[in-house]
Amino acid sequence: MKKTAIDRRHFIKISALGSGSLVLGLVLPGFGRDAGNMPCDHFQPNAFIRIDKTGQVTIFVARQEMGQGVNTSLPMIVAEELEVDFQTVRQEIAPFGSLPEGAHDTGGSQSVTGSYAELRKAGAVAKTMLIAAAAKKWGVDPNLCKAENGVVTHVTTGNSISYGDLVCDAAELPVPTEVTLKNVKDFKIVGKGQRKKNLKDIITGQAKYGMDLKVPGMLYAVVERSPVLGGTVENIDAEEVLAVPGVVRVVSYNGTGKPMHARAGVAVLATNIWAAIKGRRLLRIKWNEGEKNKDSTAELFRTFADLAKKPPQKTVHTAGDVDAVSAGKANTLNAEYAAPFLAHAMMEPLNFIAEVKNDQCELWGGLQLPHWTVDTISKECGIPKNNIRVNLALMGGAFGRRLMCDFALETVKIAQQVDKPVKVIWDRTDDIRFDNYRPANYHRLEAKWDAKGILQSWEHHVLSTPISWMTDGPGTDTAENLGGAEKDFWYAVPNVKTAYTPVDFNLHRGWLRGVEPVQNVFAVECFIDEVAQKLKKDPLQYRLGLLEGRESFKAYWDKIVEPQRLAGVLKLAAEKIGWDQPRKKNHFMGIAGHMFFCDSYAAHAIEIERLGPKKFRLVRIIAAIDCGLVINPDGLMNQMEGGTVFGLGQALKNEITVENSRVVQDGFFNYELARFSDVPDIEIHTVKSDAPPGGVGEVGVATVSPALCNALAAAGNRPRTLPIKNEGFTWE
Amino acid sequence: MAIFTLNINGTQHSVDAEPDMPLLWVLRDLLNLTGTKFGCGVASCGACTVLADGQAVRSCVWQVQNAEGSQITTIEGLSPDGSHPVQKAWEAIGVPQCGYCQAGQMMTLAGLLNQYKKPTETQISNAMSAVLCRCGTYHRIRQAVQMAVEETNK
Repeated sequence: MKKTAIDRRHFIKISALGSGSLVLGLVLPGFGRDAGNMPCDHFQPNAFIRIDKTGQVTIFVARQEMGQGVNTSLPMIVAEELEVDFQTVRQEIAPFGSLPEGAHDTGGSQSVTGSYAELRKAGAVAKTMLIAAAAKKWGVDPNLCKAENGVVTHVTTGNSISYGDLVCDAAELPVPTEVTLKNVKDFKIVGKGQRKKNLKDIITGQAKYGMDLKVPGMLYAVVERSPVLGGTVENIDAEEVLAVPGVVRVVSYNGTGKPMHARAGVAVLATNIWAAIKGRRLLRIKWNEGEKNKDSTAELFRTFADLAKKPPQKTVHTAGDVDAVSAGKANTLNAEYAAPFLAHAMMEPLNFIAEVKNDQCELWGGLQLPHWTVDTISKECGIPKNNIRVNLALMGGAFGRRLMCDFALETVKIAQQVDKPVKVIWDRTDDIRFDNYRPANYHRLEAKWDAKGILQSWEHHVLSTPISWMTDGPGTDTAENLGGAEKDFWYAVPNVKTAYTPVDFNLHRGWLRGVEPVQNVFAVECFIDEVAQKLKKDPLQYRLGLLEGRESFKAYWDKIVEPQRLAGVLKLAAEKIGWDQPRKKNHFMGIAGHMFFCDSYAAHAIEIERLGPKKFRLVRIIAAIDCGLVINPDGLMNQMEGGTVFGLGQALKNEITVENSRVVQDGFFNYELARFSDVPDIEIHTVKSDAPPGGVGEVGVATVSPALCNALAAAGNRPRTLPIKNEGFTWE
Repeated sequence: MAIFTLNINGTQHSVDAEPDMPLLWVLRDLLNLTGTKFGCGVASCGACTVLADGQAVRSCVWQVQNAEGSQITTIEGLSPDGSHPVQKAWEAIGVPQCGYCQAGQMMTLAGLLNQYKKPTETQISNAMSAVLCRCGTYHRIRQAVQMAVEETNK
């Protein structure tokens, strides 16, 4: 299969490799020994840790904080091995350039899984050097010294010395390549809930996001972008715009092709944002929309439905031979499911600052893949890679939107035309209309069983508007089947065939929290429920029966699917919601589970009260997770609570529609998100596990929609289209 | 442009701005009070909520020319040290994820508590449902609201 560096799967593999041991070998100027004759004032054995003479420990976080809590979980891992009081540890964003390519990449729920070993080692290296420095000072055997709470103690004499008093001695020592890590059983910080390191800053309004950054002399810009992807500017009338006090200039730039698909735009630059916003309203632009300006989602879903019944373009996974299974109509079930394009809609709208002077460029803003951004800007704008400086910023949400860097790219294209730094701010309309959208998708499934009711075959035909056709070009050989529609299909069925058909559509697509599994798990976990219902089996017991005794198996890449861990989260969710208890009148429950490709398993169980044929009340939502070793239980709760709400919004409301290749929605009035009043009691339960830590940023999303649809099916009406409001469902 | 005198967090500020410039941008760009956030610009998300004479208002649609004469409170001025009952509850429960919307959430509740010392479930739901959080912290917001209400009525 053709893959490029921009393919997410490839990106995930690169990330896992990029965070290897070479990082620790990297010593930048100022690390370890102090350069030249500079007086010693701190100890920095690697890119992650700095300890100054007062004993203040600063941990540099390479992965980007966007609400998912890496600014807390990653320092916890370092502090654990370093043996310091976590409460006194400061965290800072690791400067771009202080670590090798890929180290800052933040996506795919990879931050903990990709950094765990490396950060433990970083902490252990520093601790080992501090112990060695103390032992040398005292002339004793370092093996008779221990470190605890930022102090080294000689066990024999009881002598002790604080880390702060050791920094200059430690900085003189060679950095060891091999160190002993703690026994996980002795962990004191990891596994104990910690509040976010920037909690106080947030609640006092002091946290600085990209949106809050200012660069001296900068101009503010807002941009009118081509309404159709691929469109170009035909002519501009900016006369009235330039008359607005504060407006400085109007500049246009060309769009770019794959992978970023930045739209062509016309930017209004002003000394303050309000002038730019007012100026933009007066802008008159004639666009050349190009040929692909007629696409609509209504037509797209008709195409999906038509193609779903035809042979798929690509077979993805087969087991046994589904064609050899014969069953009468009574023993066959098929169903089709649909879900729309979705926008990311993080609360901090996109924004970015760039300054370009000759062939030098400096950037400020939040980016999930900053190295990809630098590569892209270098290629598209002709600026040498080494001349691009990046200042990374805290993000007010990202959810995958800031993996793509179209917004940074356009900012540089604008900044190239003026002699001042430029800050581009997207308004909410821009944000909703010019996203890279979670693909629209469609599924046809068929199951057959024998006379005894034993499931014999499972076929799943996935259709979607692939992301890879935007990143790599139309026609790319691809399948977006992760999440139960690949080799990872977790139920024991002797004959399985999964397949994929791509459909072209002129709208940029990208990765939204949970990515493909959210699309595919919805279909898999609804359909297994339909089969159970048809066979008059309890949906939980039916699932468990198909998982029972199934051994772990290798799916794609190096991923092992462990059906017993999936059974574990299903059982836990069921137990906590009281699946086997007598149910109140008109109360119904639904359940769904899955494996997420970051070695985590989650299930949701949802209880509803039926208020009418298509009217219900959400009573409560239970989530169960098995993510192996938990780094920060409080962060895990946050991710699962947040993932649940993210999934609930998709089940109930979120939808992007397109007419004439234009997104219809233009704000929160018509791109509806989950609100406070939509959310019932949520409980999160964790399976205790000694498995290595898995990723938790995305695993909480996928099973909400199927669990809710399964509950509604139990109550009498099964929705097969998301959001369910489109099937006439209402809730209170 | 014109000079406007604003009372913000108990201090008088003079700003030179277009009369129709929303208070949001005056706060953020002219006065460097960036705790008040831009989320939509059309009063649909609540991220920009501040207090005007104790009541929650959307600063993104409140023109500076109409803000003179009001006692304006932003998140930076809700308390000197994060000790307002709402902030204390937010800290104790650990509400924020990305945190971007949380000033708006807290100011909305602070305004509600100024209006009703013991708000009803419906009043709470109506007020808090007007403020969006994409990270999905609503479950913790509900817990923190209860705690703040209890603290306020001690």
